Amino acid sequence: MRLNTNKVARDGSQTEANLSPKRGHFSFVLRTVPILFLLILSACQPKPGVYIQRLKNQHYRLIVNGSPYIVKGVCYNPIPIGANHEYDWWSDPNKPWLADGKLMKHMGINTVRIYQPPANPEAGKKVIRDLYKLYGIRTLMGDWLGFWEYPCPFYGDKKFQDKVKKQVIEMVNIYKDEPGILGWILGNENNYSCLGHVNPWSSPEIDQQPDPQKQKALRARIYYSFVNELSKEIHKIDTLHPVGLGNGELLGLDSADKYAPDVDFVACIIYRGRTFGNLFKSIRATFDKPVLLSEFGADCYDAYLRREDQDMQAFFLQSQWGQIYENLANNKKGAGNCIGGTLFEWTDEWWKYNPDNPQEWSLHNTESGWSNGSYYFDIRAEGNKNMNEEWFGIVALSPELENGLNKRLPRKAYYVIREFWKHPALKKALPKKSSQGG
Amino acid sequence: MKKLLAVLLALILMAPAIAMAEDKAANTAKEFVVFLDKNSRENHFIPSGWMGDYGDIKMNDQSADSPRSGISSIQFVYSAKKSQNQGWAGVYWQNPANNWGNKKGGFDLTGMTKLTFWARGAKGGEIIQKVMVGGIKGTYPDTVSVEMGPLELTNTWKQYTVNLVGKDLSYVNGGFGWATTADLNPDGATFYIDDIKFEVDPNLKPQGRVQQAMPFYVYADRSSIANHFIPSGWMGDYGDIKYDGSSKEDAYLGDTCIKIVYNGKATQGARWAGIFWQNPANNWGSVDAGFDLSKAAKLTFWARGAKGGERIEEFKVGGIMGEFSDSDSASIGPVILNKEWTQYTIDLKGKDMSYIIGGFVWAANVDNNPEGATFYLDEIKYE
Repeated sequence: MRLNTNKVARDGSQTEANLSPKRGHFSFVLRTVPILFLLILSACQPKPGVYIQRLKNQHYRLIVNGSPYIVKGVCYNPIPIGANHEYDWWSDPNKPWLADGKLMKHMGINTVRIYQPPANPEAGKKVIRDLYKLYGIRTLMGDWLGFWEYPCPFYGDKKFQDKVKKQVIEMVNIYKDEPGILGWILGNENNYSCLGHVNPWSSPEIDQQPDPQKQKALRARIYYSFVNELSKEIHKIDTLHPVGLGNGELLGLDSADKYAPDVDFVACIIYRGRTFGNLFKSIRATFDKPVLLSEFGADCYDAYLRREDQDMQAFFLQSQWGQIYENLANNKKGAGNCIGGTLFEWTDEWWKYNPDNPQEWSLHNTESGWSNGSYYFDIRAEGNKNMNEEWFGIVALSPELENGLNKRLPRKAYYVIREFWKHPALKKALPKKSSQGG
Repeated sequence: MKKLLAVLLALILMAPAIAMAEDKAANTAKEFVVFLDKNSRENHFIPSGWMGDYGDIKMNDQSADSPRSGISSIQFVYSAKKSQNQGWAGVYWQNPANNWGNKKGGFDLTGMTKLTFWARGAKGGEIIQKVMVGGIKGTYPDTVSVEMGPLELTNTWKQYTVNLVGKDLSYVNGGFGWATTADLNPDGATFYIDDIKFEVDPNLKPQGRVQQAMPFYVYADRSSIANHFIPSGWMGDYGDIKYDGSSKEDAYLGDTCIKIVYNGKATQGARWAGIFWQNPANNWGSVDAGFDLSKAAKLTFWARGAKGGERIEEFKVGGIMGEFSDSDSASIGPVILNKEWTQYTIDLKGKDMSYIIGGFVWAANVDNNPEGATFYLDEIKYE
């Protein structure tokens, strides 16, 4: 039986469409076209927010409000001379982020990485807004995940997990609607605690395991599962920003692959000198996520010759940025999984060599804290200690005040990277580093 | 008398010009002799740079015992007695004699593409750990540093070639050198060298890095030519370590194994210690060397503790960071050793092993070995 598809009005009369087929068609078109137009228009609108795009060639890129975005960033912690890490710079009446934001914009920086939000959310929002509205600089906001809590971060303990989770969710709820937010970074080298190198922790389950290798694997499973849980919780309340895993080197990423599939990118903290070696390919093979180099760089103090060496710092940073660009999406030469970097760091921090002695916070210490052969120019320093924690800034601080702030003195690296970003000539040979001081 | 003075003066004035002419000649000649026969006018370098256990070396630079060409060759007798407690010895040909980079000398050998020499052992089987071209440092460093080896000599003359294509030969003071160790020649070695010269070979191509065939040994036995890395990178409390690369205490395979005694006394205050096997010795990433081990899927080794229960924090390959860093690293640990020989494996699948200077390393600490630890290693190899 063929169904009569003519529409009949409830009162039995035929509708206008049936009475006049041509006019009906016209009317249908009139009504449908605008809807289709609106549908097409909305489909063409860029997807809002920040997300990772996987391209057909399996490369990754970061998309911000519909456009590709290379993170050209710095780690930002503007502690003034004479203060230590406990200083609340967010509430500094001299607003250091305004002077810094202006200089950053001039250099081409589009992102700052901040390790932990302030206690006062309004102060935090103010900084994020100012940086974004005045200078177009976005913020990657982080949380330490209780890494430095006394006596150690008990990631296997439910109460500890709940406390950290509450803090993280609170951070996301407070800042997620800020237009300047680019994403979240969970932890910073916390994976080293799984190996027992830093802040070692345990749990009854781990204690029962006699094999130390299996203990390590258990810690990794617990830690990365917890990060994954946090990531899922964040995605529930904030669909517009990606979540990164702040991982030291590549250690533990094989476990992250099993237990943390819901993080969106790896925020890798890495100090390998002139090159990143096989980092990008290695991440492809172990934990196939986009890579943000969330901490890398070089200090500018030659511990062997005992003098500032801005050339040395500029040499390493230019080489590192060259490698970052080689591994961005659609560059055939690289792995195509890099989304940018936040170099360490914006300004020197004069408190770092001795955080507990206020008298030393006003001294620019030249003692080296650790050794890293990848920074080979000054590796012949005594005891091979060549890394100077207080000299990593690409902007030096002067004791002289300017508008209430330590005067900012951009170093050679500031200008070299600015030029590189303007003209990222990847094949251009690096200038040979000369040994003159800065 | 006046005539004699005039001639002398002329010669003095001409000396730099002659030297310059010789330098230029080096640039245009098809060969440039390091050493032919003792009194040959063509010799440009002198075998003056005796190194290591120099007391173990005897040199006869006009040995008439079957020279390769001419009337003599150089005979070296290496006794391996460790006269200076070094465990190795060697000789550099230098210009001028005894120039360890402290004075200007050497030659601009730009244009030369290889160095060739002939060598033979008195019996056959003598092992030269390596031969060197350049590599002398100091105020006036050589612009080139190339090493080749180990070489296992035959009892008949054989020519060897060091490829120098693409190398900067603009200043060469250490024209040639050899070095060997007591471990490789426990009973000493007598060998002969002849006709050492730089040559131009337009058909020679640059030597690419060769992917090494597997298995590739870090350590097989104390005298094995298969050993490719040297346990030279002592770290942390290096004073706490005693290393014996020729222990005969129940070797797993062959006649020797490695015995390590770590006393845990924290001599340097580090509270940990370890040893890196490097190529070349003491290379912390400053020398462009090492091996392409891309074909390796794993590193295996055998280990046992003297008592059982010794805890080694880490066994690792690669990971040396420097101007020439290892291309990757992989590790296992902590490992608690058994009293019986047990094989351990470091998985290398997916690793970039194309550039490895740190072939193997162990590290242990006081906290987990308060009484120290004695342990044994054997058959360390890439597969």
